[in-house]
Amino acid sequence: MSQANKHPWHMVAPSPWPIVGTISAFVLAVGGVLYMHEDIPWILAAGFALLLFTFFGWWRDVVREAEHDAAHTNVVQQGLRVGVVLFIASEVMFFFAFFWAYFNASVPAISFAAQTQWPPADIVPLDTWTIPFLNTLILLTSGATVTYAHHAVREGHRDKAIVGIGLTVLLGAIFLGFQIFEYGHATFGFTDGIYASSFYMATGFHGFHVFVGVCFLSVCFFRARAGHFTPRQHVGFEASAWYWHFVDVVWLFLFCAVYWWGSFGL
Amino acid sequence: MTAEHHPTGWRRWVYSTNHKDIGTMYIVLSMIGAIIGGGMSWYIRLELAQPGIQFIEDTQLYNVLVTAHGFLMVFFVVMPAMIGGFGNWFVPLMIGAPDMSFPRMNNISFWLLVAALVLLVIAGLTGGGPGTGWTVYPPLSSATFHPGPAVDFAILSLHVAGASSILGAINLITTIINMRAPGMTMHRAPLFVWAILVTAFLLLLAIPVLAGALTMLLTDRNFGTSFFIPEGGGDPILWQHLFWFFGHPEVYIIIIPAFGIISQIIATFSKKPVFGYLGMAYAMCAIGFVGFVVWAHHMYTVGLDVNTRAYFVLATMVIAVPTGIKIFSWLATMWGGSITFKTPMLFATGFIALFVAGGVTGVVLSNAGMDVALHDTYYVVAHFHYVLSIAAVFAMYAGFYYWIGKMSGRQYSETLGKIHFWASFVGVNLLFFPQHFLGAAGMPRRIPDYPDAYAGWNMVSSIGALITAIGTVFFLYIVWHTLTRGQKAKANPWGEGATTLEWTVASPAPFHTHEELPNMEPAQAGE
Amino acid sequence: MFKHFRDIAGLIVLGCVTVVGEASAAGMAEPWQVDLQTPASPVAEQIRSFNAILFSLEALITLVVLGLMGFIIWRFNAKRNPVPNKRTHNTALEILWTVVPILILVVVAFPSLRLLFFMDRTQDAEMTIKVVGHQWYWSYEYPDHGDFTFDSIMIPDDELKPGQPRLLAVDNPVVVPVGVNVRVLLTSDDVIHSWAVPSLGLKTDTVPGRTNETWVNVNEEGTYYGMCSELCGINHGYMPVAVKAVSKAEFDAWSKNAKQEFARNDGQATHVVQAVGEVSQ
Repeated sequence: MSQANKHPWHMVAPSPWPIVGTISAFVLAVGGVLYMHEDIPWILAAGFALLLFTFFGWWRDVVREAEHDAAHTNVVQQGLRVGVVLFIASEVMFFFAFFWAYFNASVPAISFAAQTQWPPADIVPLDTWTIPFLNTLILLTSGATVTYAHHAVREGHRDKAIVGIGLTVLLGAIFLGFQIFEYGHATFGFTDGIYASSFYMATGFHGFHVFVGVCFLSVCFFRARAGHFTPRQHVGFEASAWYWHFVDVVWLFLFCAVYWWGSFGL
Repeated sequence: MTAEHHPTGWRRWVYSTNHKDIGTMYIVLSMIGAIIGGGMSWYIRLELAQPGIQFIEDTQLYNVLVTAHGFLMVFFVVMPAMIGGFGNWFVPLMIGAPDMSFPRMNNISFWLLVAALVLLVIAGLTGGGPGTGWTVYPPLSSATFHPGPAVDFAILSLHVAGASSILGAINLITTIINMRAPGMTMHRAPLFVWAILVTAFLLLLAIPVLAGALTMLLTDRNFGTSFFIPEGGGDPILWQHLFWFFGHPEVYIIIIPAFGIISQIIATFSKKPVFGYLGMAYAMCAIGFVGFVVWAHHMYTVGLDVNTRAYFVLATMVIAVPTGIKIFSWLATMWGGSITFKTPMLFATGFIALFVAGGVTGVVLSNAGMDVALHDTYYVVAHFHYVLSIAAVFAMYAGFYYWIGKMSGRQYSETLGKIHFWASFVGVNLLFFPQHFLGAAGMPRRIPDYPDAYAGWNMVSSIGALITAIGTVFFLYIVWHTLTRGQKAKANPWGEGATTLEWTVASPAPFHTHEELPNMEPAQAGE
Repeated sequence: MFKHFRDIAGLIVLGCVTVVGEASAAGMAEPWQVDLQTPASPVAEQIRSFNAILFSLEALITLVVLGLMGFIIWRFNAKRNPVPNKRTHNTALEILWTVVPILILVVVAFPSLRLLFFMDRTQDAEMTIKVVGHQWYWSYEYPDHGDFTFDSIMIPDDELKPGQPRLLAVDNPVVVPVGVNVRVLLTSDDVIHSWAVPSLGLKTDTVPGRTNETWVNVNEEGTYYGMCSELCGINHGYMPVAVKAVSKAEFDAWSKNAKQEFARNDGQATHVVQAVGEVSQ
């Protein structure tokens, strides 16, 4: 950091993680095709393991730069926040595609190919006001607990922050458990036509994002216990909180469009 | 400077966190992509020179060549050169930042693109290859009609390339928003920076929609979903909506950085500031915004409701207005200037000519009624090659000649550059202009053989391709000549017209630049 | 106003056409043709006249812009104009070059939308034919004339008879009567194809799972050719469309005959049904 005194930016040292990450992406892709066409799962699994290793190593370096190198000045933190917001914006557009598919199939005003009846006659959708509604309450509560943790971090109350993050992780895990239970008890499978396709794709990718958010928050839980988050510097936690809110908002749209509006035709 | 920050040997490149080195790698990758993709197009033109089948007996191979040519040129030639290459090199230099916002992520953006290219090559070589066109329309791309692994490799290649682009876009936007030097307000940022900012936003918001669509296609092919399969209640047209919701912004992703490069060069060689700077900047924003609401003009013949088509006609026409502002502002920048026609300026004026020719045919095609006669014919091929291929490539050549002294420390030979310009200008016009005639007369795209009436203009077009090919090989010679024999470049080889910050640092630009941030407050910046 | 444009357009088009000779022989392209094929239906005629407006504007704009650029290159090069001015704003000019293109586009939009709504579909069709795209041939159905159906397959190069155009001639062209509004319904039983006949102003995709609609009214007797216009696999270049327009009387005679020849339960029709079955599995 010989230039640290002349400008506030973080000149990152050369790193092996990008190339390792690229190799993992390549192995994942090749392994994915081999799994789909030849039923060989091992290469896919190896790619996935290498990807996790990359994430671990890369973010370990980021944490060290923040904790030990004092590389994350105010303006660098600002850049990280902008980056997170942009990433979430791109994620919103990813879900946009699945919502488009859903409405393309269900609203005749959007597409000539839309179903005239929604849900289709051969589909018994899940009851909106049981598990789906419960899951909505769980996620909304988790939004509150993560905000509680956010305030605690800002005010320097480490213990409250740890409790807040821990509760959020717990609620996220309960949500996932219910979601898996619900999938297990649905009367339709992934391959049962367009309703099932769009239902499982949208809620499944959301569930995957909840899982990622739970992992992210779990890391923050241990970082909070290690005292990484100060009122001045806690970008990592802020990112996980924003990500969690994003996952929450997507769920509200899913709940309203897929579970609730999607059962009007019954 | 610590050794840690200036590594040598292979680590310098593979582990790089330096925007200039990564930019250079992007440009090299673009050249490799151009050699493969260009080679394919010349092979296609060779086959099409005469009616009948002469070279490509396997029509699936022909379709794969057409498909791969499109993918390569869009994702692995133009985008890496303009956004990854010039964007990486010159955005930090122009805004007075010492590097990109996320230097390590910058590197994975580059390497993911290499992985995507390898995956695409594998796709082309396995199981007959993807003969779907770059638009990958189902059901042709579904498991029933392309059962092998080729389309899956192509899908995953695009996924990886898309991840690369999204990460690159996040990096560029954050850099431009957050890392401008003191006093470098957005309204003082060079137009190239604006262009990259708009482009990065388009990437950020368009690519994920493609990613979603590709994911659905992948599960349709391999896991029994029915998003695009009518038998399961799905809709093949949904794919077209999603694809073009990405695909139309994508064409602006290709051309807007070109606008930025051309604006810098025209101002430099006219020795005048850009005319109507704010109009130019916001015209690009407008083009980017409107680019998201015109996608279905690629789908006029698929059977959309007539009112929907009418909307897309009107929305598409709107694009002509900000585009016109840009053309007229470039001319007004030149007006009253003292113009020297060095090679970059030749390519920039050539760009305007080609872009006007390609732009007016775009207005023709925007009319759904007219498009019925021209959709999927060579007229469309001529149109998008004028704007996306040759105009964009002229901007890349212009940028190369403009900045090669800064990047390599050596200046190109003016004589060789001018020969290259004239060979290219004659070649590409001979190559693509007759394709308007072929299309108007009804010759469809993506066919390996054609009725004999189309023989004449096809031969002319192939001769144009030959001239362009010679010009391109000559360009590779110029690159070699510049790097080995070129004269030492001065910090500012262009004189008073070159006012942006990259000309204030030495040539070649040192490994780290702007270590002491330039102050762009008006009082100091007025010199 | 449109009339005025057409006059200019006419002049420019005339200039181009006289260079290459009047495009004649309706139904297909001529060697060295540079313009649209000779129109043979009301829609194609309107496309052609709209194209004349567009082409004249297009040519005018290109010439003005490139002419201006040529003048600037001549007048403001460093030799002739060693000292640049530094003018970077002219509000009036900027408004002008925003408003004038808008006005031009408004002028274009009216005939454009009129053409679009005219060509969309016909209210008063006298008969209907159904087009089904297959990999890689077309089949045609005549629901109003006994519901017969037949396939239309390209004649390979080595079986062409003299006078049959290569890559365009088919064994069984679709036959329609002249001067009659024909509703065309289109679908596909495998991938997306596009049924196109340039000289009749026709191009509509055939999409599996959907039925699209267009219409045609052929002006004169003759055979009109087109090619599949959506990439549909390895033989995409080898599934031409041939429309044979005949007099009403001739059509009636043909359809009676065809009803016998292509009766629903012959081999070819079954072949079509089988193809549908394969896809849905």
